[in-house]
Amino acid sequence: MHISEGVLSAPVLVTGAALAVTGISVGLKKMDYEKIPEAAVLSAAFFVASLIHVPMGPSSVHLVLNGINGLLLGWLCFPSILVALALQAILFQFGGITVLGVNTVVMALPGLIGYYVFGRLIKGKNRLLSLAAAFACGFFSVLLSGILVAGALLSTGESFITAAKLILLAHLPVMIIEGIITLFCVAFLKKVKPEILGGVYEEAS
Amino acid sequence: MKKPHNTRFFLIILFLTAIILIGSHVPALAHKVIIFAWVEGDTVFTESKFSGGKKVLHAPVVIFDKDGKKLLEGKTDNKGEFSFKIPKVTDLRIVLNAAMGHKAEWTVPESELREAGAIVEKKSAPEPSGPIPVGLSKEEVQQIVIVKKKSAPEPSGPIAVGLSKEEVRKIVEDSLDKKLRPIVRMITESKNTKPSLTEIIGGIGYIFGLMGIALYFKNRGKKR
Repeated sequence: MHISEGVLSAPVLVTGAALAVTGISVGLKKMDYEKIPEAAVLSAAFFVASLIHVPMGPSSVHLVLNGINGLLLGWLCFPSILVALALQAILFQFGGITVLGVNTVVMALPGLIGYYVFGRLIKGKNRLLSLAAAFACGFFSVLLSGILVAGALLSTGESFITAAKLILLAHLPVMIIEGIITLFCVAFLKKVKPEILGGVYEEAS
Repeated sequence: MKKPHNTRFFLIILFLTAIILIGSHVPALAHKVIIFAWVEGDTVFTESKFSGGKKVLHAPVVIFDKDGKKLLEGKTDNKGEFSFKIPKVTDLRIVLNAAMGHKAEWTVPESELREAGAIVEKKSAPEPSGPIPVGLSKEEVQQIVIVKKKSAPEPSGPIAVGLSKEEVRKIVEDSLDKKLRPIVRMITESKNTKPSLTEIIGGIGYIFGLMGIALYFKNRGKKR
């Protein structure tokens, strides 16, 4: 999912960076004292998740965890994911410093969208519905990230349909696994710590 | 207020540990792609891999010269390899474009090609590629030459078998290439480093360090 250095053209890089800066500044504004440790822990989880490999065909595919990240953090997932991506770029040479903005948007934006679309359902009383929404949140976050990658690659001349098809096919198992992980996280948090899901909401809405 | 916050923190830590545990059982691998190239005779061999060792199959490889002019292109085969004859003696920039935004490059410096280039030129000169006069197979001569090389480190004079200095050189080069191939491969493998545990833990450490800094500044703001 990480786009390498030197693939994208300057306009895409600049757009990505601008969007990322917007997201990060909103995120930092919303970050209060209570949220900092949570953002850090999820950032660490995201950082490590990229090392978990799901064997898939000719390519290498890894967990993303942007669904649960966005779900629990909302706008804060931008700074959280940025930190993790920056460290991955420096330490593992995944992605790169110049593509940091694009990569941040690719991963964080779907998380944020998942937060707004599924957050309310997950918070709701109906247990079945909320679990289904949790699965969908994990699933669609990865899907959306894939679509965003394909969109970013559009500028390189790689055909959108081919790239998108390839990415979606390769990530299908990841989507399902992420959906299940998100589902279990939500089920667990709802049982043990329901305010972690609700708390975010009151602030945001 | 303090207590629920701690529990929440603890739970997420648990979740994180679980992830690390899963991670340690699955071969760690992620999105990084490398291409490695070496010269053998008049041919450049390349090998492409994702970090973790998976081969990059059927991916386009493009070769540029020093000035960024495209010289030739090809595709990796189903072993992730691609080889081509040296098109031109210059710095060769080999760019691999694995799909999904993955890209890697490797430069073969001109000096490396020059060594090989010398051989190429010799090759184009009339070459007695037919059966070797003494009636030995090429392989056998190679064997002999290797033995000779071992016993006499500098057989610069004409050799009993009646081969010219150049021919001996060529045969020695060839067999050296063949013998060195596994070593070159080993170097390729070692270049293909997976993120180490130190780096992973270091990264997590950085994140928590940043958390500390953020908390410090927030806290300072609060006191004022």
